[in-house]
Amino acid sequence: MITENKINDYIDKIPPASKALQETLKYLHLGELAKAAKAAKEDLALQAYLRSLVNKPIYGFKNEVSDISQIFTILGISTSTQTVYNYMISLLSPDKWLLFKLNQSSFSSLQDELSISWRKILHHLNINDKNIKSAISLLPASIIVSEALFSEKIEDVNLLRSVNPIDLNTILKRLCNKDLFDICENISVKWNMPNEIASIVQAASGVKPSTDKKIDNLGKWMHLLLFYTLSKPLYIKSELNDFIDFQIEYVQDIYEDFTTVMEIS
Amino acid sequence: MRAVIKNGIGIFSPQGFLDGNNSTSFLSIEDIEVTAKLNTDMILVSLKKVIFFNRNGLDTFVKMFLKVRQTTHATVGFCDYDSKKFDAITNFYKDDLNFSLFVNQEAATLFSSNFKNQNKNVLLYCEDKSQRAAMAIELHDNGHNPIMAQTLSEFKEKSQIKNAYDVIINDTYLGQVGLKVATRVTGNAIIYTVSSFLDAEIGNTFNIAYHNNSLNVGFRLFIFDAYKVVSMNVHALNFFSKLASSGAEYNASICFVGLTFEKIPLAFKETLEDSGIMFYEQMDDILQNKELLEELGASSAANIKNKRVINKVTVTELPNFIEATVATIEMMTNAKAMKESVKIDLLKIEEKDGKIASSIGFYGAIDGMVVLVFPTGIAKKACELLIGESTDDLDMMLDTLAELVNIVGGKIKTLLADQGINVDITLPRTYPNIDSLLEIASGKKGAQVDLAFDDDRFLFFLTR
Repeated sequence: MITENKINDYIDKIPPASKALQETLKYLHLGELAKAAKAAKEDLALQAYLRSLVNKPIYGFKNEVSDISQIFTILGISTSTQTVYNYMISLLSPDKWLLFKLNQSSFSSLQDELSISWRKILHHLNINDKNIKSAISLLPASIIVSEALFSEKIEDVNLLRSVNPIDLNTILKRLCNKDLFDICENISVKWNMPNEIASIVQAASGVKPSTDKKIDNLGKWMHLLLFYTLSKPLYIKSELNDFIDFQIEYVQDIYEDFTTVMEIS
Repeated sequence: MRAVIKNGIGIFSPQGFLDGNNSTSFLSIEDIEVTAKLNTDMILVSLKKVIFFNRNGLDTFVKMFLKVRQTTHATVGFCDYDSKKFDAITNFYKDDLNFSLFVNQEAATLFSSNFKNQNKNVLLYCEDKSQRAAMAIELHDNGHNPIMAQTLSEFKEKSQIKNAYDVIINDTYLGQVGLKVATRVTGNAIIYTVSSFLDAEIGNTFNIAYHNNSLNVGFRLFIFDAYKVVSMNVHALNFFSKLASSGAEYNASICFVGLTFEKIPLAFKETLEDSGIMFYEQMDDILQNKELLEELGASSAANIKNKRVINKVTVTELPNFIEATVATIEMMTNAKAMKESVKIDLLKIEEKDGKIASSIGFYGAIDGMVVLVFPTGIAKKACELLIGESTDDLDMMLDTLAELVNIVGGKIKTLLADQGINVDITLPRTYPNIDSLLEIASGKKGAQVDLAFDDDRFLFFLTR
């Protein structure tokens, strides 16, 4: 059994270590984009990350954007905050993934795809809360923690899976008494996110619905988005599609809207 | 992806969205082949956790299924879906549904040969009558007790009755049940479906034993549905010429429908015509023309090549045949059967009026033919149950009898299999009057059993 302390050790690694990164995040929370950009310029790795990110085709900018202030202005406060969270998580991405067949590039694609689609969804739902926007970052963060926990017991995990085609989330629960969404909740607490965010990601498990209508609705959208993204060939091959159990009934009532927002035909 | 294997059924369970881009990532041909080797007689993809799929997504699986089925003969298809998904799949593949669909895994299990003799009461509904009959036969074969609802409203009504049925089956389709997919019967014509390029392989894919037994049973009109045939080579030409020559001894007619000669040499057509094969543009050119049907032999059964007599091996199985017949007719008519007399002799029917008949052949370890002669009273009762209403329409009654005798055939097959005697059954044929039956059965010696169902006299005749 992996203990709570062990899990917390992994999660403790998630908060930013560099002072520049902490400053950037602090100013973003205060809504001061110019100061945040100035702080971000002190961290060369963050600068490179932001430049390479916004110039990816998925962001759809015609001309190359290189100035950090310009990047933060284009992204806006909440998206910039979410992007910095993604950067923090990417720092923790292992060099070699043992269980999931991922690498830095495919993991970064996962973060981008989830973030962009989540923004589309929140726009459709008329929600402009920066914490809710950042909530989606908890899922990739939790995947990294899970990979680290699985790697500790990789032989046990492989043995379990060879005997029975059991989903990884159940194995995770058996190993450490926490599932992917419990780990998301732990991370949200470490990141000082409001309780509402933890409830949204717990609802996104599809098996722990919230009594709060708004939170439950966001949980449904996040659950379906997770499966929409994990149905892409890259993530099926990386075995992320097998991670959690898709609760199809839970998302039935938002499915039609989802297909419209994501332009699925 | 790994399959979960239970009761001889391998089930793959993808989850999420399924389209042409990701289906090969979910499932590979190697995954299916490995599963097929693990003593599975069914390989299915569960759609329970699939929220979206399109034709391209399913196509990839279907292509892999068909490839594996060619070598393993396993039943392949999809399961675990709701009515909306069932309608979508049947719409995608309306002209080409050559795989199976099971509403859930429990329904699939009932059709698995690894789950025989469980004696489940199964409420069954399918809009398509021949599918309904095919399913009933398969369920009988596997030792279950199918109860067929004739209409959707009857199905809904019956399915509300608590604890009345062990399993309720609807939205299910059998894509491969022995020969029934490639071969279908309309009236008394047998229709074979052929497609793409016809070459020497036709000799392997065409079941000549089945064809010969159909001739023995009295079928005279064989139609090749060739709309989808692109071309044929000289090997296929020789095959069809020989088939026509061998059929000539039985006065059988062979027709091709929908065959175009854009990519086939016209000389081939002449050769086939010289062999006696006829060509028609549309299936309805034959099936809707009663005079032509009669001319082509769809209602005639004269000139039987072999008049074989019943032998000891077949007679030994007589109690099994009777049991199968009685059980089926009792189920269909709600009447109790009484055996009145048994004799080995030529078929003798004293009162010819007001009677119709049907027959079905079996072949394999033993061969023969079962003839059932129904007073219209019993036929009507059986029809009432099968089509859900009373009718005096002779064609409808004959169609229904064909389904009924098909079920009897399926039951016989099961009972014989229990004793290690493996037989296959032909498609049933029907006779609108006793004279047309006697054309094929007079002069044949067999075991005749007279039965009484309440006040009606019913005749069972077993011959070769």
